[in-house]
Amino acid sequence: MEAQSGDYVEVQLAKEIYRGVLLESPEPGIVLLKLDSGYNIGFKKKDLLGVKVIERFEKRKEKKFVLRRDPSKSDIAMILTGGTIASRYDPRTGGVDPLDNLENLFKFYPEIFEKVNVAKISAPFMKPSEEMDWRDWKTIARVVCDFLNDPSIKGVVITHGTDTLHYTSAALSFFLRDLNKPVVLTYSQRSVDRASSDANLNLQCAALMAISDVAEVMIVGHASLNDDFCYAMPGTKVRKLHSSKRDAFKVVNSSPLARVFTDRVEILSGFRKRSKGKVRLDAKFEDKVALVKIYPGQDPDILDFYLDKGYKGIVLEVFGLGHLPSFRSRANWARKLKQVIKKGLVVCAAAQTIYGRLDPFVYSTGRDLLKTGMIYLEDMLSETAFVKLGWVLGHKEWAKDMESVRAKMLENFAKELNPRLS
Amino acid sequence: MVEIDYEKLKFKAGLEIHQQLDSHKLFCECPSVLRKDKPTLVIRRKLHPVAGESGEVDVAALYQSSLNRVYEYQAYDTTCLVELDEEPPHMINQEALKIALQISLLLNCKIIPISQIMRKTVIDGSNTSGFQRTVLIARGGFVETSFGRVGIRYVYLEEDAARIVGENVFRLDRLGIPLVEIVTAPDAKNPIQLKETALKIGEILRSCKVKRGIGTIRQDVNISIMGGNRVEIKGMQDMDIFLKVIENEVLRQKKLLDSGNLVGMETRTAQKDGSTKYTRPLPGAARMYPETDLPLLKISRDFINEVKKSLPKSKTEVRKELSEKGLSSEMIKLLFKQNKLEQFKELLKIVNKPNLVAKMILIYPKEISKHLKIDLDVVEKRLEERFSDVLQKVAEGKISESQIKPALESIVLGKEPEFESVDLGEVEEKIQKLIKEKPGLSEKAYMGLIMKELRGKVSGKEVIEIIRRCL
Repeated sequence: MEAQSGDYVEVQLAKEIYRGVLLESPEPGIVLLKLDSGYNIGFKKKDLLGVKVIERFEKRKEKKFVLRRDPSKSDIAMILTGGTIASRYDPRTGGVDPLDNLENLFKFYPEIFEKVNVAKISAPFMKPSEEMDWRDWKTIARVVCDFLNDPSIKGVVITHGTDTLHYTSAALSFFLRDLNKPVVLTYSQRSVDRASSDANLNLQCAALMAISDVAEVMIVGHASLNDDFCYAMPGTKVRKLHSSKRDAFKVVNSSPLARVFTDRVEILSGFRKRSKGKVRLDAKFEDKVALVKIYPGQDPDILDFYLDKGYKGIVLEVFGLGHLPSFRSRANWARKLKQVIKKGLVVCAAAQTIYGRLDPFVYSTGRDLLKTGMIYLEDMLSETAFVKLGWVLGHKEWAKDMESVRAKMLENFAKELNPRLS
Repeated sequence: MVEIDYEKLKFKAGLEIHQQLDSHKLFCECPSVLRKDKPTLVIRRKLHPVAGESGEVDVAALYQSSLNRVYEYQAYDTTCLVELDEEPPHMINQEALKIALQISLLLNCKIIPISQIMRKTVIDGSNTSGFQRTVLIARGGFVETSFGRVGIRYVYLEEDAARIVGENVFRLDRLGIPLVEIVTAPDAKNPIQLKETALKIGEILRSCKVKRGIGTIRQDVNISIMGGNRVEIKGMQDMDIFLKVIENEVLRQKKLLDSGNLVGMETRTAQKDGSTKYTRPLPGAARMYPETDLPLLKISRDFINEVKKSLPKSKTEVRKELSEKGLSSEMIKLLFKQNKLEQFKELLKIVNKPNLVAKMILIYPKEISKHLKIDLDVVEKRLEERFSDVLQKVAEGKISESQIKPALESIVLGKEPEFESVDLGEVEEKIQKLIKEKPGLSEKAYMGLIMKELRGKVSGKEVIEIIRRCL
């Protein structure tokens, strides 16, 4: 009888005997045992003389979960895509598993169900956000589109990992045309197994935003370290600016759409209103695009690599007001840029400073670079610019010539450009 | 006093001792210092119920949370994002681990070579995360008592909780300070054996690098008698009332059982008068799950051997050392009795005169207490932090040894001691001048002349030493 994780066992070592629940370990060659005191200790597999099963693990029969629908509350749809907010710790394996059904969702976040009916739920895939790419953005957009065009659904909440959440929010902002209802992305920075998880407030606020009149793609999350309110942040003007804090997401070069408490929404800036129309999916995407950060002394020959590999467009994250090593430098980017742009590579510039607008006219370097045909993207965030470039180049009619691409890149589709910075 | 037959009552008791270690915080690099000043940042948080491993929401947790409390946390420049639960824990503090291993080995425990840092659910607001990090590091030890061995079941290394400073207001200065928790087996057959056990463990703790003073050690006692439930008594660190509290508790339990009542499974708190007060029902086993942000804690053979080499010396060894330094056996006895060995060693670093330092911390406070008619406790408290200042002055030659006691006396009276600065160098010059002016006199004669001038500012012993040197 081979012992399996979850079994209550007796472990025999050279000098001692331990009893407890056998667990899988995060490290190969080691088994873990949960002692009766609740503490876990480990043993090297090779030190075990024997493992005797005392009681087999028995999977609890989970009660069928029936969610009562409260007719006085609005219906929303939820899309789970993975990340910390949609994971639960599995005590048997010691691993973290996705939270993909309503029952688990209710167990962890009962409070969201006091505000809305989660009438529909979809988990098209479960992955940490660092593993997502443009295909996943398309998949999410498709599911969102279906939900938004269902008249019984008032809005959509998407839970998502934090690492690339702002790329997804930008993608949805471009992919969902004629947006009719709120599309709210939310997250957690602290795991949901703890009483202090930020997911609780974030989800409640996300639910409130989803039934609001704000028909925008937005990220809803902690406004500060306090558990008092969240900000609803425009999907193209937001960035993860901290690796671990609850208020990691900040609006850049714009202002929050609303302050969201658990019981009310305070609107802070102008927004697109909820409408009766149908949302249109436009998720064409050219994946031969890249985002490259410029550093001092960087060799411009790197552009040849992208050209050789068949890239169609590139966003350069440039210095200051829009500068690159140029005519006075050993690495002359101006000359190289002229060559590659002539060969058809679309090159855009976005600010490495994160905050502020590019302006190539202030210094001679900028004026020199301007002549290369590089497209200066004003105050657009580089991550948003990268997503937008793929989207624009995905449209054959727009990608036909450099001037049309330039025009589309500088057209304000989803508030990605803000002419008035304050 | 009522005679209690503990054997007949099948008295069972064990200890749970929490001791702060003298190191930086367990899972970050913040210093372990308590603050009295205004916080630099205050944040407000809520805790909410979490579904347990089996899916059910912890009942106690749910109850607390249903109050929908807002907890306020006070942060300082001596706390960081880890205490605020805004950054994952850093690697476990190696110094704290080493101290905890020393303690475990001195308690004859076996070290657990592979262990997992756990999260123990705590939802009273005292932990920003909603859990306390704790790890089992050793088990199966014992201490010897005059009644026989008392087993040490477990030694844990864990982080201290935030300090409550107001209603739902917590200060983060204490959160994360490393603690060892020592759990004994319920082997003590009578209160005296239990007290002996507590003192033995206390002595071992103090031989290692642990924090000293009020609040740095917390001691709980678990007591049961035949036919009754286990009762936990918190706040048993005051050894003066230790026996009285246990006697009273046994009598309380006996009275309940004799009159046909049940002894509730409860937590009580020791009171100054030796009684206990009901605090709350005994909490059930806390929910524990792994700290997934940290790797398994592995304690290698090499590390254990290194710790073994650095184990603090036993009492007998220390006694021998002190005696070799020239300290009288009477003083050595007092040092151990008054538990001032660490302080003594520290002060010796300032002025390396064992008998002088011993006299200063062991004898002078008593004499001052008698002279000024002030309680010894008060005198000691007022002087505790000041011995080093005064010794420093001696080391710098700003005051003489004979001025130590008057200086301490004025400190006790709340006056800053004023010293006429007597530079021993100047004294020497004076003596040389005197010898030149009046050559051929005896040691005693010179001594008389000098002391006439400098009495009270410099000791005769110092003067005679200088005179001998000059002659």
